[in-house]
Amino acid sequence: MHTIGRLQIYFILALALLLQVTVLRHIAIFGVRPDLLVMLAVFFGLFLGPGRGLETGIVAGALADLFALDFFGIHIFIFGLTGLLAGILGTKFSRDSARTRCLLVAVLTAFSMALHFFIASIFSGWIGLSFGGYFLGSVFPVCIYTALISIPIFFKLIEIYGLRGSEEYL
Amino acid sequence: MRNRKNIAVKILAVLAFLVFLIINSRSISNPFRTGISGAASLPLKGLNGAMRAVKKIIPFASLREENRLLRERIDLLNRRIEESGTLSAENRRLKDILGFKNAIPFSSIPAEVIGRDPSNWSNSLIINKGSAHGINDNRAVISMKGLVGRTLEVGRTSSKILLITDPNSKAGVIIQRNRQGGILVGRPDGSCKMIYIALDSDVAPGDRVITAGFGSVFPKGILIGEVAAVGKEPGRLYKYAIVRPAQDMTKLEEVLCIR
Repeated sequence: MHTIGRLQIYFILALALLLQVTVLRHIAIFGVRPDLLVMLAVFFGLFLGPGRGLETGIVAGALADLFALDFFGIHIFIFGLTGLLAGILGTKFSRDSARTRCLLVAVLTAFSMALHFFIASIFSGWIGLSFGGYFLGSVFPVCIYTALISIPIFFKLIEIYGLRGSEEYL
Repeated sequence: MRNRKNIAVKILAVLAFLVFLIINSRSISNPFRTGISGAASLPLKGLNGAMRAVKKIIPFASLREENRLLRERIDLLNRRIEESGTLSAENRRLKDILGFKNAIPFSSIPAEVIGRDPSNWSNSLIINKGSAHGINDNRAVISMKGLVGRTLEVGRTSSKILLITDPNSKAGVIIQRNRQGGILVGRPDGSCKMIYIALDSDVAPGDRVITAGFGSVFPKGILIGEVAAVGKEPGRLYKYAIVRPAQDMTKLEEVLCIR
């Protein structure tokens, strides 16, 4: 049984946040950046289970909320739920398959962005973009980009921690 | 079974707390966030500076690679040309912003962009100037090409800017050609939407959109962008226009904060 320390996870999340707010715009394609924080919440959810997925998502969301100009707590809620969902899905799908992991990252990124749209619609009252337009213009490119970039990052993290899909990690 | 129930109850409690947090977000977040972003401004500046240095080094590295087969003298000259090119481009950019700062009729503070919004939903920037440099809350921020946004959450040495492309941003605007008024709102895809345009007005693609100067935040007459498309939403008694901002927000490096 492997263990991944909480502090290590929080350090990785803090590093991802720093990259997200500074360097990541340099690899933006047509203004689209991958979402590293959601990707990491999905990763730790998949391999560490629903509880730790929720916890990782909450920490990632708290970090995002500190640097965003949005409703405080919205990222905590969305990323936490995404991590939780990743943990639940991790028990149902093979974590060893790179294709499955990539697909789950795409689906869960789309889920988190769609959830953001609906929550923001409730709190802001009105958003100047239809969900269809938002999905095609933002959600689709971001989830594809995040899924693609997750392939090498997940491989590296799996290699560093010696993770196997069939094992349990605490 | 009982254990699973307990976990589900705990998860539900956490989610309920988060909903409460979002509802009360404005009162909780501002002082907390301002303090944190102020403390984080130093590593952000460092990382930003490192990134700029890397951007300067990369062309040299590739030049060295390319010139390995060439004579040493040509290599040196090429490098010097490259170096002077980078310096003169930087010089030109800084001169432009200085000239622009002197040309605009408002007193302003130049600032450097050191960070961006971590999410793909909102559009905001972090700049390296705060209340210690004279930046105030809710002041217009512009670039050489047009309006950028307004200051929000001003810390001591750093501030956040809500871009006009953010879904929470709203500004009173007019069409420069026919003075038709409307409200400009941001969209998550990086464009803006001008709403409440009278049905009988002749707004067309290519029309320039400028600030109306109705409120106390944005001075009148600052260019925002051009109309890209005009339409009418079913069931509404007004037209809308999609506005492409004059300033590409993804490429912003320096801004001017109006005092």
